[in-house]
Amino acid sequence: MSSIKHHVTGLEYWRSLEQLADSPEIQELVDKEFPGYTPDFIKKSSRRGFLKLMSASLALAGVGLTGCRRWPREKLAPYSSNPRDRMVGIPEQYATIWEQNGVGKPLLVTSYDGRPIKIEGNPSHPFSWTVPGKIGSADTFAQASVLELYDNHRSRNVINRSRKFAEYTSWDDFTKFANTHFGELKGKKGEGFVVLSEASVSPSFLAIKKRFQAAFPSAGWYEYEALSCDNERQGAQLAFGKPVRSILHLDKAQVAVLLDADVLGDHPAHTRYAGDWAVNRRSADNKGADQKMSRVYIAESAYSLTGTNADVRIGVDPSRLYHIARAIAAQLGVEGFSGSEGLTPAETSFVASAVKDLKEAKEKKAAVMAAGAAAEPHVHAVVHAINESLEAPGNTVTLIEDPAGDRTQSHMDAIADLSQKILGGTITTLLIIGGNPFYDAPTDVHFRDALAKLPVSIHLSLFDDETSRACKWHLPRAHYLEAWGDARSWDGSATVAQPLIEPLYGGKSPIEVLALIAGEAITAGEQIVERTWKEEFQISDENKWRKLLADGILANSAAKPLNDVKIQKVDYPAPAAAPAGMTLRFQGDPRTFDGRFANNGWLQETPDPLTKLVWDNAVVLSKHDADQLGLVVGDMVRLTAGGDSLEVAVYVLPGQPTGVVGITVGYGRNAAGHIGDNLGFNAYVLRTSKTAYVSPGVKIEKLDKTYVLGMTQDHHLIDAIGQEGRDKRIGAKHESGLILHEATFAEYVKDPRAPHGITIGRVGLQLFEQTGGKREFFQDSHAWGMSVDMSACIGCHACAVACQAENNIPIVGKHAVLNHREMNWIRIDRYFKGDPNDSNEIEVLYQPVMCQHCENAPCEQVCPVAATMHDSEGLNVMVYNRCIGTRYCSNNCPYKVRRFNYFDWHSQDPRETWGKPYLNIPDLQQLEQVDKIEQMQFNPEVSVRMRGVMEKCTYCIQRIHTKTQSKRAQGTDVVDGDIITACQQACPTQAIVFGNLLEKTAKVTQLHQNPRSYAMLDDTLNTAPRTKYLAKLRNPVEEQEEKAKSGNA
Amino acid sequence: MTAIEIDNTYDDPTKRTPLVLGGKDFTAVTDAVCNVAERPTTLGWKIAFALALSFLGLLGACILYLVTTGVGVWGNNQPVSWGFPIVNFVFWVGIGHAGTLISAILFLFRQNWRTGINRFAEAMTIFAVICAAMFPGIHVGRPWLAYWLFPIPNQMQMWPQFRSPLLWDVFAVSTYATASVLFWYVGMIPDLATLRDRSTGKVRQILYGIFSLGWTGSSRHWHRYERAYLLLSALCTPLVLSVHSVVSFDFATSQLPGWHTTIFPPYFVAGAVYGGFAMVLNLIIPARAFFGLKDIITPRHIENCAKILLATGLIVAYSYSMEFWTAWYSGNHYERFTFWNRAFGPYAWSCWVMLWCNAMSPQFMWSKRLRKSMVAVFICATFGNIGMWFERFEIIITSLTRDFLPTNWWPFHPTLIDIAMLAGSFGLFFTLFLLFCRFLPVVAMAEVKSIMPEAHPHHGHPELQTPDQRRTDYRPDEVGDPDAAAIGIP
Repeated sequence: MSSIKHHVTGLEYWRSLEQLADSPEIQELVDKEFPGYTPDFIKKSSRRGFLKLMSASLALAGVGLTGCRRWPREKLAPYSSNPRDRMVGIPEQYATIWEQNGVGKPLLVTSYDGRPIKIEGNPSHPFSWTVPGKIGSADTFAQASVLELYDNHRSRNVINRSRKFAEYTSWDDFTKFANTHFGELKGKKGEGFVVLSEASVSPSFLAIKKRFQAAFPSAGWYEYEALSCDNERQGAQLAFGKPVRSILHLDKAQVAVLLDADVLGDHPAHTRYAGDWAVNRRSADNKGADQKMSRVYIAESAYSLTGTNADVRIGVDPSRLYHIARAIAAQLGVEGFSGSEGLTPAETSFVASAVKDLKEAKEKKAAVMAAGAAAEPHVHAVVHAINESLEAPGNTVTLIEDPAGDRTQSHMDAIADLSQKILGGTITTLLIIGGNPFYDAPTDVHFRDALAKLPVSIHLSLFDDETSRACKWHLPRAHYLEAWGDARSWDGSATVAQPLIEPLYGGKSPIEVLALIAGEAITAGEQIVERTWKEEFQISDENKWRKLLADGILANSAAKPLNDVKIQKVDYPAPAAAPAGMTLRFQGDPRTFDGRFANNGWLQETPDPLTKLVWDNAVVLSKHDADQLGLVVGDMVRLTAGGDSLEVAVYVLPGQPTGVVGITVGYGRNAAGHIGDNLGFNAYVLRTSKTAYVSPGVKIEKLDKTYVLGMTQDHHLIDAIGQEGRDKRIGAKHESGLILHEATFAEYVKDPRAPHGITIGRVGLQLFEQTGGKREFFQDSHAWGMSVDMSACIGCHACAVACQAENNIPIVGKHAVLNHREMNWIRIDRYFKGDPNDSNEIEVLYQPVMCQHCENAPCEQVCPVAATMHDSEGLNVMVYNRCIGTRYCSNNCPYKVRRFNYFDWHSQDPRETWGKPYLNIPDLQQLEQVDKIEQMQFNPEVSVRMRGVMEKCTYCIQRIHTKTQSKRAQGTDVVDGDIITACQQACPTQAIVFGNLLEKTAKVTQLHQNPRSYAMLDDTLNTAPRTKYLAKLRNPVEEQEEKAKSGNA
Repeated sequence: MTAIEIDNTYDDPTKRTPLVLGGKDFTAVTDAVCNVAERPTTLGWKIAFALALSFLGLLGACILYLVTTGVGVWGNNQPVSWGFPIVNFVFWVGIGHAGTLISAILFLFRQNWRTGINRFAEAMTIFAVICAAMFPGIHVGRPWLAYWLFPIPNQMQMWPQFRSPLLWDVFAVSTYATASVLFWYVGMIPDLATLRDRSTGKVRQILYGIFSLGWTGSSRHWHRYERAYLLLSALCTPLVLSVHSVVSFDFATSQLPGWHTTIFPPYFVAGAVYGGFAMVLNLIIPARAFFGLKDIITPRHIENCAKILLATGLIVAYSYSMEFWTAWYSGNHYERFTFWNRAFGPYAWSCWVMLWCNAMSPQFMWSKRLRKSMVAVFICATFGNIGMWFERFEIIITSLTRDFLPTNWWPFHPTLIDIAMLAGSFGLFFTLFLLFCRFLPVVAMAEVKSIMPEAHPHHGHPELQTPDQRRTDYRPDEVGDPDAAAIGIP
């Protein structure tokens, strides 16, 4: 280094000692400040030459050919002048599709001035519509994914961990690295390079995969998902000799026999299936010969949503499913099956009734059987054989070629194979597209060790998660709402996924990353997708492309039904008898799925439909087993499966099959993000590739520890008095209570008033003349009302998440839930009935409860500041700005549907256990404290409530007013079906119906006149609610037979 | 001082019982009362005041935390929207009943014994009402807007909702507080003048001078003073009944089982009087010893209070049993459940604490022997206070934890802030009370003097004109009081 000398250059300020010293290196650097700028060139050119240069530059810049554009063309940028078809403040809706586990979910996204804020099902797509063309339903994951988009814990940087410290770097750096590294690999034809991808059958993804494989012909490609339809696929392979996917038509099935198949809960097509299932439940209200009701049988190893909604249910060990399937096959006379011995009495009677009903339904081509994801492949195979004999294919089942049928190995085998390869030392580079195998790979494949061995490992994911931290490179992934893509839904129909917003954190989609790594010329997502659709679907014309984007479905793109597939083999060896001990059954979690949604607060706070657990998972035991082991809810146990053990809290679930313990995967993460870290228990540590769903022979030891489980209902053990009061209110098994009305279908046919049981004839005598019930009192053309069908409600909580998204409802965190301060405006009350010691005896009822909009609202009379009152259309409205928070209204609400902001929940950290003081003007707290990106998610139509005010369901008053005002501007009035509340929109079974009670033909008016309709607590309190419930109907076997007997006598 | 121990708890219809003992004449009464305010600050007072002040500081800190953070710092939850703050509010309002009852109703009924304790009880009333009024103010979700509860004309043309019992509360409590303060102050004017006249320090002279409003003791002053006092007592009498009736409407007009009960107004008033007297006794029994006022606040005063304790305790016990009866007789499932749940559910302990304290413990006051025992009365009164707090706890918390829909059932757990605020409210109460004891006439001297025989030289008992004569002529032992004989009155 040169010494510092007295500078003579006249520098007033200097950048470094080197510059001050005016060393030649520095001089060189300073010269390079504008690299490529060579003033000599300009100086040397003539005037004419200079003008030529300038005009060329100007032309290039001005015409915008390539050079000086600020943004690539496909990007979305705020507009400075208003496009013709757009108005600021008017939301727009875009159709798109979201691929989860290789199955696309068709969606309709509402965007508000460029911010996607609400996700609904695409009403034009058969796999999401509930009322074709009008209402589309999306499940809880899809709806909550909008929160994931704005999650500020998502990764924002490319991270390079090849050196000692993690280095936050950029895509440019990665591109540089990729060009050299993968350039070299290309030379070696991709030798030593493998890709581990999450499941995808997206056309563009497969197309780019093909190009990728062309670039790296020797590279390996593996696919892994922790939860998949592998068993189903392998079962079809066994039965038909080729990959076949079944699509059930529950709307045509009068009798459905399910073996561990949670078709209403965790099936990839459950939204469609639930809608179809409800058709045959609602038909109980028809007149005459059309009055019928389907009967659903289920034998299951875990209490599921479908189980709670089935008419005949038994809980069994998973190993019994095969025997039950065979027995049914034998008794139905399916070729190749005989003998049905060895069944337990419960199984025998289950099989006998099921067979009797299946035989009857077969005559009408209305019988179907299905098996679930956890059932062994040969159970699926037997079910296929039975379906064939029931003539189900073509009637109640459509068989199509499996879109994911090119896969030759199961996901478990794939990851085992991959690990083995890496550990064998032949692999040098691993690219992981999505997923989180470090966290969710089975323990026996030692994927973690394998990952550590690799010199180059790259992980593309939304979060800097466990796998990313174990890899050398982390690449931020674009959220599906930020990136171009496409997918196929369950029936194989394809559509394009269009982005709604620029990538907030600079992420890239899998296809873009693959194109980048393969050294493709085209690396922009939109161009890749367009190319694919041009090549594969011949969408070359702009109009067709626009129409495709607008519709969100390509007509006739669904897979063609396979009419020629025939059962090839029906005889499979019986599975080995389960070893001693309990059976552990792994399930996907209704909150986090396989763990991927762990950082989604809405999902964390959406209760598990059955256990009502939030922010936690637990091992689920039957009452019988818990009593045997001396366990109660919240006790800690040590589960030992194989060589692994896990300490986990216990939840005692009535109805859980005896001898089977259930646990959901997807908890116990430690790099999920601030919301999802260190919650619950990681069940993956017990999971091996051989025991992916069922792990027999597990041991349970009680530990001398307890754990506080977060749950939204029944937090404490109930005493004898409480039990008595509860029983009277909800009724005994198959019987009506005071607040829950139900009946069996047979009883209902005999007497339509049967569901109302003991409340019939109760007349609330009144001292004063009543205004309640006199709609003309309000002198308005609208009287809003709602009907909730408990018979159709499956308890899926889609409505609750929809409400949360629509109405800016905050999450409160486990600590606040433990004090019952959760804010959901709609809750699904879950009640058990029956003898808790007999898991086959348990019945579950779901009752969604939101503000009932009482005409005699008890809350209104007690508010001292008139913050809650009635509007002329019968809504019980809440004036947030007027509310001072006396909470008297909540005390006086018999339904307890009001929710109070004890803290400023939006600005409160949900993982914090105590309230943090805020020293500025309190009503400004969230404006200043809520992250600016998180604020983008808020629905601008609904006020974000400040702390200290009461809030509640408004029947989506913003939707009512948007519609009525726009109709009024057109000089007309809203008609039935114009206004759809968020919960109604989300409900896959149309259990929730909203409308104008003054409109005689409105669906809600008719439902209010349905004989099943009743208003909760109205007989006692004369609250005259505008929300009425339709009593629950079930179609169990026993009752009907008894009826037949008494009819004969 | 040669205190003459006379048992004045004995009732002899033929003789007027002396209400001032110890041979005190007017001067002695003045001296005894003024001495409390005039003597140098005692160490005991300082310690008590420091303690009270620290609890007041705790309250202040809690309120600061509450306002900056949110009312979620309490244990309130979804079914239990009202927790400790409202329990405390109703508790303190109840305490505030005894003072005005003693001052107004007993004044109208010419119960002369009230004069010894009315100042004390009124002060207690006012401080209790201050404690009570604080709670609804900070209890609301947005305390900075609590003034919206008052009908203040505003540019939004928004008025409170007059159908809401909470608004009635605002009027009832504020009226009660105003009337009580006025009553207390008007009654204190002659005594403040006495203190003024006796003051030696400039500050005291000026301050007492200002607050005694130029009282000279002229006949015209006395005349107007007595008219005003009589009118105020007539005004306050209905308030005694109204304020807690209105507070009870908060519950009675709602539809929650356990709240929706027509018996609440009388039951609450009786309970409030019961609780108020319990608090009077708890304060006055130590105070009379501490400040040397045993001759002015005599065992007869205590005994009379104990009798009221017993009477109101019986009304309360009757109300409890009536509530249970009605719940059973109504046949209403929800109502019946609520009461079974109270007695045998998860919060049964609070019910039994309440029943023991409010229905059982006053029964001891049937015994004259126990009524005369300061210790026994003090213990019973303490039970009364605890019981009345639990009564409100039980009404509010137990009813709310289990209402109509079983899915809403949820227990209530108070937080540390809840408990600190309850303790802090006692800090506020005792701070004010100790200041009162230190600087104001704790006994209504003028009124006490008016019921001393000297005030009635020609009325009824000429033989009891002077202290000396009283000493010799009133001989309880002649009518056979063994206690008095044992003491050996000369």
